[in-house]
Amino acid sequence: MLLLTPILLAPLLAGCLCLAARSVRMMEALGTAAFAATLGLGIALAHQVLARGAVTEWDEFLRADALSAWMVLLISVVSLSTMLYAGRYFRRDQETGMATAGRVREFYALTPLFGAGMFLVVLSNNLGVMWAAVESTALSSVLLVALYNRRTSLEAAWKYVILGSIGLALALLGTVFVYAAACKNQPDSIPSFNWSYMMSVAARLDPHLLKLAFVFAVVGYGTKAGLAPMHTWLPDAHSEAPSPTSAMLSGVSLKIALYALIRFHILASACLDSGFSRNLLLVFGLFSMLLAVPFILVQRNLKRMLAYSSLEHVGLICAGIAMNTPATIFGALLHMGYHALAKPVLFFASGNIHQTFHSLEFRLIGPGVAKVLPGTALLMGLAALAAIGLPPFGLFLSELTIVSGGLASGQTVATVLILAALLGSFWGILQHLSRILLGSRKQGDTTQDARPADGLPAMAMLMAALAVFSLWLPEPLLELLRQGAQLIGGKP
Amino acid sequence: MHPPGSTEIASQAITFMAALMLVLQLLMIPQRMLLATIRLFAIQSFLLAAIAAVVAYHHQASHVYVVAILTVVGKVLLLPWLLNRLVRRIEIHQEIEPLLNAPASMLLGGGLTLLGYVVARPFTSLERLGHNTLAIALTLLLTGFFLMINRRKAITQVLALLTVENGVMLAAVALTTYGMPLVVELGIFFDVLVAVMVLGILVYRIRENIASIDTSQLNQLKG
Repeated sequence: MLLLTPILLAPLLAGCLCLAARSVRMMEALGTAAFAATLGLGIALAHQVLARGAVTEWDEFLRADALSAWMVLLISVVSLSTMLYAGRYFRRDQETGMATAGRVREFYALTPLFGAGMFLVVLSNNLGVMWAAVESTALSSVLLVALYNRRTSLEAAWKYVILGSIGLALALLGTVFVYAAACKNQPDSIPSFNWSYMMSVAARLDPHLLKLAFVFAVVGYGTKAGLAPMHTWLPDAHSEAPSPTSAMLSGVSLKIALYALIRFHILASACLDSGFSRNLLLVFGLFSMLLAVPFILVQRNLKRMLAYSSLEHVGLICAGIAMNTPATIFGALLHMGYHALAKPVLFFASGNIHQTFHSLEFRLIGPGVAKVLPGTALLMGLAALAAIGLPPFGLFLSELTIVSGGLASGQTVATVLILAALLGSFWGILQHLSRILLGSRKQGDTTQDARPADGLPAMAMLMAALAVFSLWLPEPLLELLRQGAQLIGGKP
Repeated sequence: MHPPGSTEIASQAITFMAALMLVLQLLMIPQRMLLATIRLFAIQSFLLAAIAAVVAYHHQASHVYVVAILTVVGKVLLLPWLLNRLVRRIEIHQEIEPLLNAPASMLLGGGLTLLGYVVARPFTSLERLGHNTLAIALTLLLTGFFLMINRRKAITQVLALLTVENGVMLAAVALTTYGMPLVVELGIFFDVLVAVMVLGILVYRIRENIASIDTSQLNQLKG
């Protein structure tokens, strides 16, 4: 039975049908159904990968190994929850005139396409097609960032698309260099550009070209993944986009770009014996983590603070992979999953807060959100505690795995820097959020249109999943992650 | 397989056309009329297509002809037409004074060319047909980035991005025997088309919203 093809086609079809759908409810149902289907297919795919190894389709044009199967699960979960949340969110926006019916249709048509692009990134075997797919995710999400058509959202979208395009042009050059290395090996024929083929000849590729290619890939895909110092588009895009889109950008889109970078990292470390690619990833990862902390501490805008927190988490994942021990890589992959469950809850909650208080500035939201929106405040508080790494939540577990793995392998400096950054953001986020969530409302508070029940099902679903998976990870999932970690850290 | 001397001719033709691409790029640096810049880009893309056609003819590789045809259809005809229409619709024809004035920009363009040649030097042995094509590709990249920083009109930035893309495609032709696999070329082709449409939509909306396409006015998001 075909598995990979329907995973790609379901959201593609839903996106196209939304252009013709009559009502918003219809579009909502289409998007939800598509991503529920991909979630089911993703689980089936994970089982098949565990049973038989890599799955290929269409003459190896599509290929999924443990890493791809894991990413398919993440994309599906985040997109599904986004679809569940978006309905009420946009109905309210339409009531208040923030968004027109045309814009809402734009959202429902583009979001599944955005998802389909991400699926293609992780399922394509050809490295060139992977590049084209990353570019397609950038293009489908940029109009989502500009959805509100405000001056600031246009600014954010322009920055996003221009910086993203520069980055992706560099990534394309890196891709060309990798292919040039393959051509150098086989001067008289057209070599395949498939991942499986490249890995089989990796040891014989020209190391200079591969080094050059990896540098371009780090800067290029790193821009899209939001690694510092190429991250400047990230807080703007995340804060100006509608909250459902922010959740998708932060929850998975950053990790998809990181996935592309990881593929280059695997290829480079199979070809180069030295830790060239590892060291580069470590530097960018640590720098992103450390840079995020001061911006979190002085932040005055809720969604920008969450965006910088995403920057920190991406940096941590990158650093965990770069430390290259089985424990740290496993921890990094696990962290991707937990972060994908926790961060959308925070963005959905900010969406509720934005629509109720009409601002994202801490000062204007004021203390006592819990009095007006008790459910939102509770879930947001829990998700924030999870995101800053408090037990019993899973992010504590994954961070602990990375840190202890780092210490055990003697990478003390990197581990200490990671711990310092984690502590800094811990303090910053806790302080900001406790100030707005707790306490009592100011006198003369005029908040009238509070709707405490809005968006709770999607948030509760994610939090429940986070709670369950924090305490209990099913054995097949653990095995999938172990195999994924083995792919990345194939050579010690 | 190839008749004697034909490799030499193909190589020289490619070298010549790549050099012309560089000249057109340098002409874009001081150009302030948007329509003229679009025309320069179209001619540059035509040269890229011609290089691909020479490679295709030389190696008798039919899929590289497809690449040449796609380049002509997309970058020589369709994109310039779209951008022309955009310029007419938003009624902005001229770039304002760039950050660096024309003589200084030209000087910097020369410096970037030099840098491109120096960086490409260790890799010249990888070039298939033609000489210094990689150096020119890198120079297109560097000057394209410079154009983006130096100009403030959104459309000029889009054009600069497109010349960067031309540079990458030139590198692909220069370093590989038969160009990239066809499916990748198709992917890149459609991405570039969609990218220009998306950018066009954004430019139009920015123009409607702030009555200008001067991107230096987009400066409210900080911190």
